[in-house]
Amino acid sequence: MATGNGLWRLALPLALAQALFFVAPLLLLLATSFATDENLRDWGLRGWRDALGDAFHIQSVLNTMRLGALTVLATALLAVPLALVHMAAGPTLRRIILMAAVLPLLTSVVVRTFAWIVILGREGVINATLLGAGVITAPVALLQTEHGLILALTQIEMPLMLLPLLAALARIDPALLDASASLGGSLARTLWKVVLPMAMPGLIAGATLVFASASTAFISQGVIGGGRLNYLPALVWQQAMVVFDWPLAAALALTLMASVLMVAGALSLLGSRVRHA
Amino acid sequence: MTEFRRRHLLGAALAGTALPWNAARAQAAMTAAVYPGGWDEALRAVLAPRLRSAHNINVAFEPLFAVDQIAKARAARGNPPFDVFVLDPGPRVSGIEFGLFETFDPAKLTNRALLPDGYADAHGAAVAAQVVGIAYNPTKVAKPKGWADLFKPEYVPKLGLTGFGTTFGTISLIEMAKALGGSEANMDPLFAELRRIRPNVAAVGQPAAMPGMFQQGQIDVMYTNTYTVTLLRSRGVNIDFAVPETGAAAFVTTMHIAKGSRNLDSAYKYIDEMIATPIQAALAQDPFFFVPVNKDVTPGADVPMRSISEIGRFVTHDWARINPVRAQWIARFNREMAG
Repeated sequence: MATGNGLWRLALPLALAQALFFVAPLLLLLATSFATDENLRDWGLRGWRDALGDAFHIQSVLNTMRLGALTVLATALLAVPLALVHMAAGPTLRRIILMAAVLPLLTSVVVRTFAWIVILGREGVINATLLGAGVITAPVALLQTEHGLILALTQIEMPLMLLPLLAALARIDPALLDASASLGGSLARTLWKVVLPMAMPGLIAGATLVFASASTAFISQGVIGGGRLNYLPALVWQQAMVVFDWPLAAALALTLMASVLMVAGALSLLGSRVRHA
Repeated sequence: MTEFRRRHLLGAALAGTALPWNAARAQAAMTAAVYPGGWDEALRAVLAPRLRSAHNINVAFEPLFAVDQIAKARAARGNPPFDVFVLDPGPRVSGIEFGLFETFDPAKLTNRALLPDGYADAHGAAVAAQVVGIAYNPTKVAKPKGWADLFKPEYVPKLGLTGFGTTFGTISLIEMAKALGGSEANMDPLFAELRRIRPNVAAVGQPAAMPGMFQQGQIDVMYTNTYTVTLLRSRGVNIDFAVPETGAAAFVTTMHIAKGSRNLDSAYKYIDEMIATPIQAALAQDPFFFVPVNKDVTPGADVPMRSISEIGRFVTHDWARINPVRAQWIARFNREMAG
């Protein structure tokens, strides 16, 4: 219908920009991954062999996916209760929650990441508090550990989970909850059978965003995670910028992209299943 | 619609032709790559005003780490995004191998005689030195005597490690290998020790993150240059520089003119002014703390040399030999640290 009256032309500027600045470089990246040197003179599978034939790189892929999955889990566990409070709250509290959800987006990721060094460090806020309260006798390792990194990423990525979730829950008709209650459904049963299924699209959208963002969070992974945790983004940067092995860097970058796309695809498939169930 | 568009185009065309003409009449322009952070601040504050007042040259700075400059220049394939590189020895050798520099004529530098012999050659000129050793927090740990001390139990839980990605990291790790009985050709003793201490070191991180972690007390010992030590102390951090018993390592930072640069004259003047006595003297002081290469300028108090002429006493490295094996060291460091 829209194509008939030429409305599709409205999409042209963005489509053109995408083709020029996203698709074309992506094709170049693909070509580079099949080169044997960065001048694109000789071709071969060396880049891909080095990328996928090396247990260390495969482990990095798995670590990266694991990090994304755990961050999704942590953000979802915290965001769902908050979204329920938001749904039940009056207009003032709603505004406060929404404000708190959006606020982190107004500071740069770099600033948020460095703030976490101050919080998680050996002499940081958490350790100082626990030591002062006598809960621990020596500082616990938080910075440069996987759990510390997930903790930080959970805060950093939270808005990406919370905002779609709030939007999904806001669309639920309160009459449905009353109907469930009047039919004898307990609060737990109403949440499980009515609210959660209807929140699923928001949850899945949030999960996709958080997963893609956390698994590619180059700065947070490097600064908070450190050199003992191996993730693909740092490896790609190192091969491209320090070692100058562009074919390997390109193959690793495409591996990262494919892995994230696969998870995002699986989530969107799950989303359409839920909608049609 | 047509009229509107035509007038717009005409206006744009006029603006397009008028601007460069005005700029050309007023002054010469050039672009120089500069390290982000301290270098960027220093050269903008000291060098850029001097070029403007003395030569009517307007410098635009492009903040890029050395490896990023090389990567960008290579990707540009003969159409350099800046006129002058500033590089450490490793990337310098890469730049020479990749043919990224114009042939440099030291005779064009009026300040040539102020540099030690060999500090300006057919590739470029030295503009600053760096002295690398051990930095420690004197209120938390005793002064380390040498590189091997870093692997002792009293230092390991407070040590911050960085890999072979930077010049200072690479030469520090080479010096550790030597102190542990290895050499540039045999890094096995180093990697064995790194694997042993890996679970207990305070941090393994990006080089750029180390000063922040030192400031926050996450680490109390690291390897770095005198510049970082002086800079952190000036910001109130408890930090001292220890010269290892086998000697501190030193290297020079060099500037090079990009192949295909269309601003050769300006680029030579830029490098010439960079080594001039007033500029080097200003850069050596608070808050910049550069180590001067100009023989007439005295380095700051933290630098364990009273003139660049003493650099012969320091440990130096052959980057033509390091570069070919560095990729393997980087890969191995990744793997050993990942456990």
